[in-house]
Amino acid sequence: MNHTALILILFIAIVAVLALLTAWRPELTRERGGKVLAFVALCILPVLAMWAGVTEHLQRSTSTQFCLSCHVMGDFGKSLLVDDRSYIPARHFQNNFVPRDHACFTCHTDYTMFGDYRAKWRGVHHVLVEYLGTIPKPEDIKLYTAYNNRECLHCHAGARAYLEASSHHKKPDMLALAASNQLSCMSSNCHDIVHDVATLKDATFWSPQADPK
Amino acid sequence: MIPTTIERRIRWAGLLVVVGLVLQMLTFLSIHPLAFMGFLLIGCPLVAAGMLLYLYSLVSHDVP
Repeated sequence: MNHTALILILFIAIVAVLALLTAWRPELTRERGGKVLAFVALCILPVLAMWAGVTEHLQRSTSTQFCLSCHVMGDFGKSLLVDDRSYIPARHFQNNFVPRDHACFTCHTDYTMFGDYRAKWRGVHHVLVEYLGTIPKPEDIKLYTAYNNRECLHCHAGARAYLEASSHHKKPDMLALAASNQLSCMSSNCHDIVHDVATLKDATFWSPQADPK
Repeated sequence: MIPTTIERRIRWAGLLVVVGLVLQMLTFLSIHPLAFMGFLLIGCPLVAAGMLLYLYSLVSHDVP
């Protein structure tokens, strides 16, 4: 558990103690000091606690651990460790091109609660399916809409390796088409090996070693 | 001393807030979608209900 969460738990515990004091001795509110205590303990501090709690939970929901906590996402997590450079997510994850503890969110920025209201509803639906519905096979899980090049270009746009790669100049307007999302980076014969969870049973896996620093 | 109606409401408001806050604390023990949903859909409504009951107690008449 990180320090932020510990501080938050401590803060909420203090608010809960103050609220309990008010509930236990409501007659304190007959005096001016008791009125102030009740207002702070039952109105001001709970609002602050909820705001801080939502912020912490939103931060947590961008973590790889959060995304992979649903059983159905397990194979997608395994695909980050495939020992094959042609697997785009694995290459990014293993080389720290994306932060490992926020790997999913870095490339899926508009997913579930971070997208529009439809994406939020889908997120709730995913949780319901996980516990109450029929969970699909990992290989049957697809994105709702085609992957947007914007996610790739957050980092690659303007990078020399991206601009000067010979494969990006097979046609004169390839970069412009990619920038306008008319040509997907994951087009056939380009970067078309992504999670590919159906092929994991034949894959070999990289095991991260502890950083000696 | 017999508690007034306002004090009884404040007591219930305090209990709702406490229960909501304890539930919110428990959700921080796990990094999981259910923890987030528990925080938003159970913890926050309980705290909000307690706050509203407290505010209502401030503007309501005391019934002898």
